[in-house]
Amino acid sequence: MIAADTRLLDVQGLTVAFGDTHVLHGVSFSLDRNEVLGIVGETGAGKSVLARALMNLLPSGARIVGGDVKVSGRSVFSLSEEDARKFRGGTVSLIGTNAKALLDPVQTVGSQVARVLQAHRSCSRREAREETRKLFEQVGIVNPKRRMEAYPHELSGGMAQRIVIAMALVTQPDIVLADDATLGLDATIQVQVLDLFVNRCRDLGLGAVIITHDLGIVAHYCDRIAIMKEGRIVELKPVGDFIAKPEAQYSAVLLDAAKVRPTPMTTQAEKGRGADNGDAILRVENLFKYFPLSGGEVVKAVDDVSFSLNRHETLALVGESGSGKTTVGQCLVKLLGTDQGRILFDGEDTVPLTEKEFRPLRRRMQMVFQEPYVALNPRWMVADLLSEPLRLEIGMSNTDRASRVRELLDLVRLPSKLAHAYPHELTAGEQKRVGIARALATKPEFVVFDEPTTALDIRVRAQIIDLVRDLQREIGLSALFITHDLNSVRSLAHYVAVMRLGKIVEMGETEAIFASPAQEYTQKLLAAELPIEQSAAQKIRATDRQNALGAAR
Amino acid sequence: MPQFQSIWSAILRRPAALIGLILLFLQIVAIVFAPVLATHSPVEANPLASLQPPSAEHWLGTDVSGMDIYSRIIYATRINLLISISAVAVAFVIGVPIGLLIGYYHNMASSLAMRVFDFIQSFPVFVLGMALVSVMGQEIWNVAIVLAVLFIPMFARLIRAEVLSLRQRPFISAARCSGATDGSIMFGHILPNALTPAIVQISISIGMAILLTAGLSFIGAGVRMPTPEWGLMVSSGAQQMILGIWWVSLFPGLAIVVSVLSFALLGDAAKEMFDPTNRSRT
Repeated sequence: MIAADTRLLDVQGLTVAFGDTHVLHGVSFSLDRNEVLGIVGETGAGKSVLARALMNLLPSGARIVGGDVKVSGRSVFSLSEEDARKFRGGTVSLIGTNAKALLDPVQTVGSQVARVLQAHRSCSRREAREETRKLFEQVGIVNPKRRMEAYPHELSGGMAQRIVIAMALVTQPDIVLADDATLGLDATIQVQVLDLFVNRCRDLGLGAVIITHDLGIVAHYCDRIAIMKEGRIVELKPVGDFIAKPEAQYSAVLLDAAKVRPTPMTTQAEKGRGADNGDAILRVENLFKYFPLSGGEVVKAVDDVSFSLNRHETLALVGESGSGKTTVGQCLVKLLGTDQGRILFDGEDTVPLTEKEFRPLRRRMQMVFQEPYVALNPRWMVADLLSEPLRLEIGMSNTDRASRVRELLDLVRLPSKLAHAYPHELTAGEQKRVGIARALATKPEFVVFDEPTTALDIRVRAQIIDLVRDLQREIGLSALFITHDLNSVRSLAHYVAVMRLGKIVEMGETEAIFASPAQEYTQKLLAAELPIEQSAAQKIRATDRQNALGAAR
Repeated sequence: MPQFQSIWSAILRRPAALIGLILLFLQIVAIVFAPVLATHSPVEANPLASLQPPSAEHWLGTDVSGMDIYSRIIYATRINLLISISAVAVAFVIGVPIGLLIGYYHNMASSLAMRVFDFIQSFPVFVLGMALVSVMGQEIWNVAIVLAVLFIPMFARLIRAEVLSLRQRPFISAARCSGATDGSIMFGHILPNALTPAIVQISISIGMAILLTAGLSFIGAGVRMPTPEWGLMVSSGAQQMILGIWWVSLFPGLAIVVSVLSFALLGDAAKEMFDPTNRSRT
């Protein structure tokens, strides 16, 4: 048994270096049984290195310069090879990002989990499988017996993440580390997975460390929070105290950035809307887009969707992955053909137009792509990327183009020296800005933003939101936001349309929808949001979430 | 694309690449200074000096017709590399645009082109080579054309495979939204990103071409005597080999090995150099 005065996990002055570069500087913290600690930091803060160091699994090239990690009083760095093997997975286990990539594609998930158990405990194959089945049931896998025979590619992202959680829990470890374990999952799935994970840890009295860049997750699930910056813990305190009053300047900035900045912005919106006041820049009528699958089935990606958008207004199209929201956006800018329906842009139906006939309209109608890096040709300099759309402007001289490029960089708050940089030399936020600048190059009247805030660090996300708000105000942009980040919707959109399985299930003014969602599906989506403002409301909100999720399941 | 300096330092870090480079350099010296380096005429027969073993007069001996093997090997570098490099250059220049087009457009013509490539590539190389050369005549340029025909499908397929994956990438959609036409998407966006594997393949193909040229000559489907050509020289000594007259075939054989090896080593180095950096970054 562990002596009462020995901490479950005790990290003292841990310093890790790659070559001569220190990536962790004297990190100290501890963790007790039955405690959930959240470690928050932006990209490059050293979170993942810390997780690997706790497992004594540092990547090659990294070395411990100083400090120690003690688990129940024993240093993890002094373990023998065999003890270290038992320790990893047996005493401390790690849940990584992207569950599908963590699973072996050629083994059934059941035997993968059972194998982990057999590696740590002497038991027969049958016993191991029986244990696994029970565990699958406990982590909320429906029909566990059948699921055990599934291969990873047959599972959804949320299901695969549950399997990985089961794999981490199967040996009944004392400590579980979750390193961005829910990154890339839909919000509704994310809360299900986190609820389950945290509840299991609490039931078993484990110590858990949730490593994330999402303050909302920490606010909802953790007891204490550690803010990391550049390899240092800058603040460590109970979550409630932190949200009420962050001490370090950096954590105050982070907290502020994570907050919703509500209030829609233009005066136009205040005029009130009515379904259509005649000033619609875009009207979509009964849009259909089906994708045939092999075997005669069809995916009804867009199934009779209609909406309209007035000038200077922003409509957000929200929904989970697979709801068809991105397909709608692609149909609008003619990256995809439309099966049926009308898309009236400024009164003109674009559906029957050929690519050549549509090309002049591209000047007035642009799209900002989701992943900033892959949407930029890696071999083109920023200046070239920004001037490409300018070819749509007939009779523009080279000097005009160059000055427009400078204007654009200025518009998205990028220094003009970046004109000669290549995409891989930019940070994610800068890449996103280049993507936005490119879409704005021809001064379009209407822009589709595909997931403008996803996968960005807290501060960068806030900066992008501010930028888009400025653009809405300064150039009176009409925009369609396609997103599953409901927090950003509140900051950016006047109206919201909720999509599910190719259909719009609910549509209305943003604040009205957020205040009183009519549809059960919308309620479920909203309940899955993990906003940071919750100190007093947290408990109520948490209960609400449980209820809504329970009802929708 | 890597900068010149980084290419240079990458080569120096790999001993294999350095050896390849040195061997290539020796061949270039042989090509440029052949008249200076050769001790005899490469094509002048001398029946009195037939089949002499290596000596001070004839460093690597003489063949059946009494021609100096050393001088012929030196001059053959010109022929062999000329054939191989021009064949690969032609195949690259023709194969790359074809690959780009059939990867970008999906229509009857592109699937027809793929079937033609299947046909060319499923044919045994030597049978095809013999057939083509016997129809067109045993000239140096005909051998080069045969090799080019054989290599076009290889480059076209390589490029096509790259194009197929590149055209799915978001930056192509983004370019289309920016009003890019098919032509500017193909040549401005896709081609520069698709070229790397084809460039790596150049060096490896030259090695293969040298081997094929020699092979065609060896079976009598290549260039004709007395043209100095390595494969032909190996072939001309093959009968004497069992009589213990080893030098006639051995030395040109070694020349083939050295030449193929140099391009293979450089090709491997190029592959290593381009692959990890570009793949991991994109």
